[in-house]
Amino acid sequence: MTILSRIASRPKTLSIGGLVLLVGLLAAGILLTRRAALAAPEQPIPFSHAIHDQAGVQCLFCHPGPLRSDAAAIPSVQKCAGCHRTIAVDRPAVQELMAYWEAQAPIPWAPVSRMADFVYFSHQPHLGAGLNCETCHGEVGSMSVLRPVNAMDMGWCLACHLEQPAQKVARLTDCIACHK
Amino acid sequence: MASNLSRRQFFKAAAGLGVATGFSPTVRRVLLEPFVRPPEQELPGKATWYASTCRQCPAGCGIIVRVINGRARKIEGNPDHPLNRGKLCARGQAGLQVLYNPDRLHNAVRQTGGRNSRSFEAIAWSEALTQLSQAIEQIGDRSRIAFLAGLIPDHLHALATRLLEAIGAPPPVVFDLHTALEGRALAAGMAQSWFGARQLPLYDIANTEVILSFGANFLETWMSPVSQSVDYGVMRQGRLAGRGFLAQFEPRLSPTAAVADEWIPVRPGSEAAIALALGRIIVEENLGRVGSHRDHAHLYRDVSVEAMAESADLPSEQLRRLARTFAEAGRSVAVPGGYLGGLSNGLQAMDAVMALNVIMRRIGQEGGVFIPHDVPAPRFLNPVLPSPFSEVTDLIERMRSGQVDLLLICGTNPVYELPPSSGFLDGLQSVPLVVSFSPFVDETAVWSDAVLPDHTYLEGWGHQVVSPGADRPAVSSQQPVVRPLYDTRSTADVLLALASRMGGMAAEALPWPDEVAYLEESSAELHGSSISLYDARTPAGFWSRWRQFGGWWSEKPIREEPEPSGIPEASLGAGTAVFSGSSEAYPYILLLYPSSALSDGRGANQPWLQEAPDAITTARWNSWVELNPTTAAALGVTDNQLVRVLSPHGELQAPAVVHPGIRPDCVAIPLGQGHQDFGRFAAGRGAQGMSLLGESAVEGQTRLMWGATRVRIEPLSEIKPLARLESLDGEGRESLR
Repeated sequence: MTILSRIASRPKTLSIGGLVLLVGLLAAGILLTRRAALAAPEQPIPFSHAIHDQAGVQCLFCHPGPLRSDAAAIPSVQKCAGCHRTIAVDRPAVQELMAYWEAQAPIPWAPVSRMADFVYFSHQPHLGAGLNCETCHGEVGSMSVLRPVNAMDMGWCLACHLEQPAQKVARLTDCIACHK
Repeated sequence: MASNLSRRQFFKAAAGLGVATGFSPTVRRVLLEPFVRPPEQELPGKATWYASTCRQCPAGCGIIVRVINGRARKIEGNPDHPLNRGKLCARGQAGLQVLYNPDRLHNAVRQTGGRNSRSFEAIAWSEALTQLSQAIEQIGDRSRIAFLAGLIPDHLHALATRLLEAIGAPPPVVFDLHTALEGRALAAGMAQSWFGARQLPLYDIANTEVILSFGANFLETWMSPVSQSVDYGVMRQGRLAGRGFLAQFEPRLSPTAAVADEWIPVRPGSEAAIALALGRIIVEENLGRVGSHRDHAHLYRDVSVEAMAESADLPSEQLRRLARTFAEAGRSVAVPGGYLGGLSNGLQAMDAVMALNVIMRRIGQEGGVFIPHDVPAPRFLNPVLPSPFSEVTDLIERMRSGQVDLLLICGTNPVYELPPSSGFLDGLQSVPLVVSFSPFVDETAVWSDAVLPDHTYLEGWGHQVVSPGADRPAVSSQQPVVRPLYDTRSTADVLLALASRMGGMAAEALPWPDEVAYLEESSAELHGSSISLYDARTPAGFWSRWRQFGGWWSEKPIREEPEPSGIPEASLGAGTAVFSGSSEAYPYILLLYPSSALSDGRGANQPWLQEAPDAITTARWNSWVELNPTTAAALGVTDNQLVRVLSPHGELQAPAVVHPGIRPDCVAIPLGQGHQDFGRFAAGRGAQGMSLLGESAVEGQTRLMWGATRVRIEPLSEIKPLARLESLDGEGRESLR
């Protein structure tokens, strides 16, 4: 008999201790998953949004996508190199960046804000509705290591969609608004 | 374990495991790789659709390709294109796996350890071009240069022809197995003799009521399957006089035969007799509403219905019924398939089938036979057709006798496609310099000195006159949908670069800086045409619309109505079907057919196509031998049992598929597998049926006779289960596997 079937064929009654253990395990699982989801992923280059914000670079300078497209997108290596050929060339992180450019290789960034594949999300209408980047992505300008601040799950989307003007709520909470 | 674990226990255990999974950190497997240099106008997250042409088979369907972040993601049919009208087959869909194939060559290579050593060394393009142009210049007698091509894009064929002419070399020889199995060259020859036009006949399937198809697999691989499938749908939906009727004469239950109203499993070689018998009945009984048959009676002077029915092993009553169905329909058409071309009396069969259309006055009539209308510009006249097979055998003969010093091979894989008995490989070894332009290391590239890889079709330019299939003159254009992934180079550009290096006549004949300049100039020839779908004020604007639409076609349908000017004077004959091998030693007739997914083998390196189940047997990823249950019982062979198939010329081993969709005196093997090279998905899988053919299939023939060989079967003890989607449970019921 294997372990799996041995576990499964234990006595049918669940003791109080067992119930507490199960609930505890579930709660711990949920909390840990959430923590992992909101952790800052490791990046190939120690890139700091804070430094760029202090230098007065606007979000849309590097990520112009939301104005016209679904995706914000990560800037091309060419765009990074455009400035860093001359700016802060003595910093180790910038030298790492320029090594990618010289090798003409893409930088393998780890995504921080990621929407599930089955969600049809577009940045453009959100910007059109007057939202700032910070509303969803948090105070990115003060983060030296970028981490997600919202889990970007369905409850979080709906919490905001339900607060919209009454005539828009029906449309914004329709299933096919996001799940096409 | 599975036996003592109940459903309830399973759910409990699964729930426990689910909780345990909650403890593990979320693994971030996804990486976001930005562009190094973004393409101009590229907007991340927004799809761009490019119109181009599918090159997975020679039909020339229009495609649109969805490109996101500079990467091709999905291929669809071009809804504006008059041929496929927005539809696309599985082979077209799989085109992405040509582009992203892991076994593509990344740069030009030469073989350092000699041919067949498979030790390739990268070579710079400039050096490759210098060496090639020097090699050409060193050959004093330019007739010793040969160019062997498959059905390559029209512009490449035109440029190659111009270059060869300028340097005094013979024109390209066009051969590939797919077009040979379709009988393209033979169909054009038939139209030449009956209508005086060397064009591929167009059968108006959509507007007909009754189709008699003689081995024409028009829903699978023959000619333009997507367009014909759309037309077949129209015909079946009964827009005319109720649901159309299809009778398929074929020894094997092909997918086309499977959807037919009547499948008549004829004995191979008796198709001519059947068509003649049908014609004789129509003439004799004066069937149909076309008035007198007196003008055509002489065609059947020497035909006896009873004798023909006997030789075809069919009751004459059945033939009389079919003749009445065919003749009494308002619109009917008889279609000679490519399968006939593999038989020794195939040409007689094709003529006998075409004669049915002639006696019923179906030529140039709605629902009958047409030929394509010319594209009204000089560069698009005379679309490329495969060369007569005698040119291929002639080339092999010249190679073997040392009369060829340089062989350039492009868009075809003759070492794999031709039967070993053709002597092509021997010939190749007598040629001092062989250069392949294949993007993959296929069997022919292995026997080449250098491979100068072309782009794949989603990265390349081109155009192709659509023939046959569309109801109007059409040119399908090809443009890159992504930047070339590797350091490959378009073969047309290689030829232009060679011409400019060689100077003189060659440079004069090919003055264009690159193929795009040539293509733009070609498109300008159609600028201002009065029948055009679109117009533009300037040639540059026209070129831009050309790429936007994916080619050029006329606004309204226009077909050529041919004149049956070449009706034979004498009575038609059925000929005799001759098979290699005695019927005592080799009791079964071998039927080789192109796989609907892999075609002649060109699709074997695409896993989606390997995975696509055959429509009848649902087998995949391998070769198999189709046997009738009666035959299998007599031989003592069960399903999936390995058998050895022996012909007088070769042998192969493959598992058996026992099913009733084949005549008991025949054995069918799909083509497409049995590659030795051509990448990880193709190599070392299945067997190549062409290896069973002997010299009689090749030598002294004006065509490749792949249907005229007998085989015998030797059961082996091993059971080798095929990967199948479903199979028959022995009592005719389907069971999922």
